Parts: sequence; structure tokens; C-alpha cells
Amino acid sequence: MNVALIILIIETILIGMIPRAMPIFASALGETVDQSAGILNLGVEGIMLMGAITALLVDFFYHNPVLAFLVAGFVGLIFGAIHGILVISMKLDQTVIGTAIWFVGWGLSGVLYAATFGLSSSPPTVPTLPHIYIPYLTNIPFFGRFIFGEDPLVYILIGALIAVDYFLNHTKQGLNLRTVGHDPRVAEIMGVNPYLYRYAAVLFGGFMAGIGGAYITLGIVGSFYFDITAGMGFIAVALVYFGKWKPYRVFVGTLIFGAVYVFYFMMEDLYPKIPYEFYQMLPYIVTLIMILVIGTRAKPPASLAIPYIKGE
Amino acid sequence: MILGLLVSSAFFILFRLSPFIGLATLLYEGFGTVYGWYNTLRMTIPLLIIAVGLSVPFTAKFWNIGAQGQFILGEIFATWIGLLLSKCVPPLADIIIAMFFAFIGGAIWAIPPTVMKLYSGANEIITTLMMNFVAVYLLLWLVSGPMQGAQARLVGAPSSAPIPAQDMLPLIPGTQISTGFLIGLALAIIFYWILKYTEFGYELKLIGEGEQVASYSGINIKRQIFLSMIISGGISGIAGMVYVYGITSTLIPQFFSDISTSFGYVGIPVALMSSLNPIGIIFASIFLGGILNGAFVMEAIYSIPIDVVITIYGLIMIFSIIGIMFDLPKLIKRWKR
Repeated sequence: MNVALIILIIETILIGMIPRAMPIFASALGETVDQSAGILNLGVEGIMLMGAITALLVDFFYHNPVLAFLVAGFVGLIFGAIHGILVISMKLDQTVIGTAIWFVGWGLSGVLYAATFGLSSSPPTVPTLPHIYIPYLTNIPFFGRFIFGEDPLVYILIGALIAVDYFLNHTKQGLNLRTVGHDPRVAEIMGVNPYLYRYAAVLFGGFMAGIGGAYITLGIVGSFYFDITAGMGFIAVALVYFGKWKPYRVFVGTLIFGAVYVFYFMMEDLYPKIPYEFYQMLPYIVTLIMILVIGTRAKPPASLAIPYIKGE
Repeated sequence: MILGLLVSSAFFILFRLSPFIGLATLLYEGFGTVYGWYNTLRMTIPLLIIAVGLSVPFTAKFWNIGAQGQFILGEIFATWIGLLLSKCVPPLADIIIAMFFAFIGGAIWAIPPTVMKLYSGANEIITTLMMNFVAVYLLLWLVSGPMQGAQARLVGAPSSAPIPAQDMLPLIPGTQISTGFLIGLALAIIFYWILKYTEFGYELKLIGEGEQVASYSGINIKRQIFLSMIISGGISGIAGMVYVYGITSTLIPQFFSDISTSFGYVGIPVALMSSLNPIGIIFASIFLGGILNGAFVMEAIYSIPIDVVITIYGLIMIFSIIGIMFDLPKLIKRWKR
């Protein structure tokens, strides 16, 4: 291969990976906050599916992507609240409830889709988000499209990344939140209400998962099919482990995933002799390897997935 | 559980169908007719076996979500060895060997997530789930590539060559129920005994109550959890073998989005709603199998997607775990604290 081709490949990966990474990133960012407060939300996959279908429905009937994203986020918020009530107030097992929330979201998204569009009809399409092309800057060779040619939500999410990182690491409330995740008893002694922080965290996590799901339908595919997320929610949870609960590291992890997705689409064209099923396995195998590599060194918040019961 | 059903019956309104009629149809198609019962039991068999397998690691609070992948690997191994040996050994030996290989296949798929959990603390839900996806694509590749049957290749269908009829599990005389159901019942009884009366079962229960307690009492936690996952994976594999040898007779792809073949996922609520008691699992699997079968019929009649079932299962899971963990007064007391 010559140099020009390699540069072209890298450029294609760079341009393609950002949108592919965003749904996982939005959910993973919410999950980072969730887990920092000690809540393991395994229902992300289900919430993403609900976000995806609601965004599609709203955009299909009202042609308003902004409203679609907001409604999807709101649905995510509701699911986050349900999850919160079950695991924070009722202190149920977070793993089982997470799985149950996944089932509910999984089934309900399919039901809503079929109730609106029927089972056999061809899938509805909505336009995907427009990209912003900043004049001149977009034309910079190699990096231009990659940095200055994304759709608006990408920039909003990167803003959210900076904000969340600042919040977690540089504000008093962020410190409180991490203390709640580490040891709610200490937090309580410090005069912090652990329940309040945990609820705020699950609500934020749910909202972001809804947005992440909405991005799949409105940002990438422009349509919906059954189980459209195909495990992205769980990959997001895995990436929080990979990112060691640090937003920037999580972001890097999701970019790697974006690159993996683009890579396999590209390799399918370049080397069609290898059965495509192996390419489709790739994201999941990469997840397993990532967990394996990082797992030994990652140290989760001490009270992750442990309900806080006053006085015990 | 009943609450879960009632809540989910509200979904029928979405399809311009009254919730009551919807629920009644669902249950009638599942349990109302002899033919319905046959189909229900057909759904029940893999559910029953998988849920019995799942109850073992679940007792130790090790959440194995990977039954689907282990099920698929069991199918692959059993079909492979069955097609290989069908001409040279008698049917009974073929069935036993296939069952053995299915156990190995399922167990192999259960090992990596278990090892990762025990030695690096990776969340088992994520790892077992990722293994499911890999298994789905592995199966898809096998049935449209190396294991595709000659006839299937002619029409371009992704499926393996059929298991010869004499090697299939026989039906229970006088009925249309596969003897796989008896295998499931036997496994349920065996594991009821194991979980209740053996040291292994007792130690798993202790691990489930808290690893600290368990390690104080000198239990080798890693060994027992590893063992429980091997058993669970292997039994899910046997479920795969029984499914191929008793129901489909060929290896067909199982898409992640297709709930009608996702017995590995449905097995989770089955195991949980019966408080991980294998005898209870028999009834729970018949019940949820009936709902699954009823939903199949409803998809055909009213074009209500089968996905409605998975929502019902999720709600049943939530309501049953509330029921398992607390009685209501205790719950209120806990809330107030």
C-alpha cells in the first residue's frame, strides 16, 4: 500500500468514527456519573432503545429534531427515575433491576414501533442531522472535515464532556457525588444527602442514555429496526470501566469504538473473502479484550451497586 | 407477577384491542386447547432446562446473562457431532454423545467470562452478554458457510443438514411432546436436590448472601463459582441440543433481535420469578412458555409483535423480585428509614 492510500484510510476512519462513537459516548457519559454516585445502571441498553424509538416517532410526526432529542431525553429521564425508585428507595438488586429495565425498554420499543408503523411495512425514514460546515476551516486538508464538519450535537456532547469532567473533579458538588459513590456513610456525616445525589445521578444517566439512543436514529441511521442498539448500551457500560470513571478516558474509549465500527465497514469492502460475520463480531470481541486488559487495574467506586441503608 | 401481566395487558390498547380480550386470548392460545398445550410445552422445554441451569450461579448471585450464547454453542456442538456420527453409532448412543458434547460446548462458552470475573473483577453481565453476540455471529457464519446443508445451499437458506429422523429424541407415546420435557423434569429434580441438600448448594447460598461471610466460613469461593458456571453453561448447552434434536432438527440462525428463539434471555425471568427453586421453575417455565406461545399466535392474528412478551417478562422480573426480597410491610418500613 502506498502512503496516499494509508492517509485516505486514516482520514476515512477519523471522519466516520465521530458519529459512530457518539451514541455510545452520550450513554457512557451518563453512566460515568451514575457509577460515580455508586449506581450501576445496566438498563442503559433498554433506555437507549426507548430513546431511539421516541426520537424517531417525534421527528417523524413533527419534523422537529430538537424536540425529538428533548422528548427522547425525557423518556430516558423517566426510565432513570423508575430505576432510581427501585434501586435507591426500594434497595433492590441493581443487577437484576438493570436487566429488567433492559427487557422492558427492549420490548416496549419494538411494541411502539409496531403499533405505529405495523409489522410488515417498510421502515419509516427521517432525515439525519445536518452537518455544520464552517467555511474555509472545513477545507483544511486531512483534519478539516474531521474537526469542523460534524453535526451540532457532536459539539454539544463535547461541551457536556468538558462540563461533566469539570463538575466531577473541580466542584464541591462533584466531590460530594464521588463521596456518595465511595462511602455514603461518610457523605452522610459530611452533611450530604446520599439519596439526593444518587437520584440526581440516575436522572442524568437516564437522560443521557435517551439522547444516545436518539442519536442512533436521528444522527446515523435515520430509521429504526428491532433492537437497533445491538449491545451498544452494554458496550457503554464496559467503556466506563475502561475509562476508569474519568470522563476524558471514557471519551477516548468511545472514539476507539467508533474507529472499530468504521474499520469493519471498510474491511468488509477491502477484504470480502473473510466472512462478514467475523467483522460483526469485532466490536464485541474488542469489548471483551478491553475489559480483560483494563479490568485488573480498574478500581470501581467502593460502594458501586451497593444500596445505601441508613443506620446499617 | 399477576400485577406484571395486568400492567402489560394495557399495551393491547395500542393495537386497538381491549386489554381484557388481549390477555384472555394470550392465555387461551397458550393453555386453552390441546394443540395450544403441545406448542406451549415445545416452548417450555428449552426454557425449563436453561432456567434450571441458571438457578445454580444465580443462587451465588453470579448473574449469568450468557445462557443464549451457551445455548447456541450447545446446538452447534450437538449438531456437529450428531451429523458426524449418525451413520456409525446407534441412535441412543448418538443422543448421549451429542448431549455430552453440548454440555462441553456450553461450558466452554461460560468459561471466559467466569475467569475474567474471578481474576480481574470484570462485570459478568457485560462479558457474558458480549459472548452472546459473538455466538450469534458464529452460528450465522457456520450455517451459511461450513455447516450449511447441501439442500439448504441449493435454495440459499442458512441452515444445516437435518439430523436423521431416527436420531431425534422420540415423542412421549400418545402425545406430541418430545421426551426432552422428561429430561428437563429430571434435571429440575436433580438440581432441586443439589441446591437444597448438598454442601455445594449450601455453599453457593452462603456466597450469595455475602462473600465475606462465605470466606470466613472457609469456602473456596472461586472454585464454587467456577463450578456453578460450568454447570450452568453446560446445562444451557444441553438445552440447545434438546432444542435441535427435539424440535427444529436443523441448526438455524438465531438473531439477537428475534425474541422467539431467545430462550437464553427468557430463562432469566423464569429462574427469578420462581425464587431459584428448580421445582418452581417447572411451573414458571410452563407459564412463561405459554405466554410466549400465545404471543406467537397473536402476532399472526392481530399483528402484535412478539416483542410484547419481553416487556411482560421485564415487568414480571421487577414485580417478582419485589415480591422475593420483601414482604410489603417490611418494604414500607425500609422505605421510611
